[in-house]
Amino acid sequence: MTRSGPPQDRDAAWLDALLDDVGRTPPPAVSDDLMARVMADAVAALPAPGGAPAPVPIWRQVVEGLGGWSAIGGLVAATVTGFAVGLGALDTAGADAIWSLGSEMSLDSEAGLNAYGWDLEES
Amino acid sequence: MTMALDSQPELTDSALLARYARGDAAAAQVLTVRLVPRVMAQAYKMLGDRAEAEDVAQEALVRLWRIAPDWREGEAQVTTWLYRVVANLCTDRLRKRKRAAVPLDDVADPADPGPSVETRMQDAARRDALRAALATLPERQRLAVMLRHFDGATNPEIAERLGVSVEAVESLTARGKRALAKVLKGRVAALGYEG
Repeated sequence: MTRSGPPQDRDAAWLDALLDDVGRTPPPAVSDDLMARVMADAVAALPAPGGAPAPVPIWRQVVEGLGGWSAIGGLVAATVTGFAVGLGALDTAGADAIWSLGSEMSLDSEAGLNAYGWDLEES
Repeated sequence: MTMALDSQPELTDSALLARYARGDAAAAQVLTVRLVPRVMAQAYKMLGDRAEAEDVAQEALVRLWRIAPDWREGEAQVTTWLYRVVANLCTDRLRKRKRAAVPLDDVADPADPGPSVETRMQDAARRDALRAALATLPERQRLAVMLRHFDGATNPEIAERLGVSVEAVESLTARGKRALAKVLKGRVAALGYEG
């Protein structure tokens, strides 16, 4: 017997029909024997009474403490936005702003030496 | 042994599993009544063999009992976890299966004047070919195709169960079916489809 239906990938109606056919397979009634075997396994593996539930991992406590994954997403978005705004400010001020910060630090450093009196001892 | 109906319908599977982990055998009985029929149905659809499906169902539940003390409520649905375990157990069996062709004479005649022996054999061969082809798919593609066609789940439902986006489900299903068609293509004529 043949059934109609081209095998080309672009028209896989036969595949849908086959999948649905297997999907409609009526399951057999669950036997009492299977239920008894499963229950016997459950009793054999039964934990001792009063067992403690599994501990919640630290990372999950942190996430939940911060308000869940949606809150974490908000924090990340805010951080990225702040970083982008910072980059924009630097772009506006130009690289001179960075160098000027560096020269101020250098002056401070020399002032510090003077304050400790190194130049007085060397002279 | 006749099991009672679900006597704790207000309790979730996770809550019952937590009770079992604290040594409550009655919780195991409720879970058994609740879960074994659906596990058995899934295994039977994938394997097409009652004895093998029963073995898989029992093994899947053994794994559930063992993992109970480490189960964390809220992290996953028990049914989703079981679905994946059963699918993997069945896939292992399908990959190992080397079923000898059943001689035509060994197939008993139907009691009622239904489909012919030849038709029934071809239908059975078709289903077996599909099951074997499903076993060749990557796990997520296989699960997406099964959830769609075996369980009738919608894309959003599949997305929730697999923990992926709806777009990803569409992609997984499409790729899975393309792969299935490719695997089965060489056997289309033998399975009774016109080439």
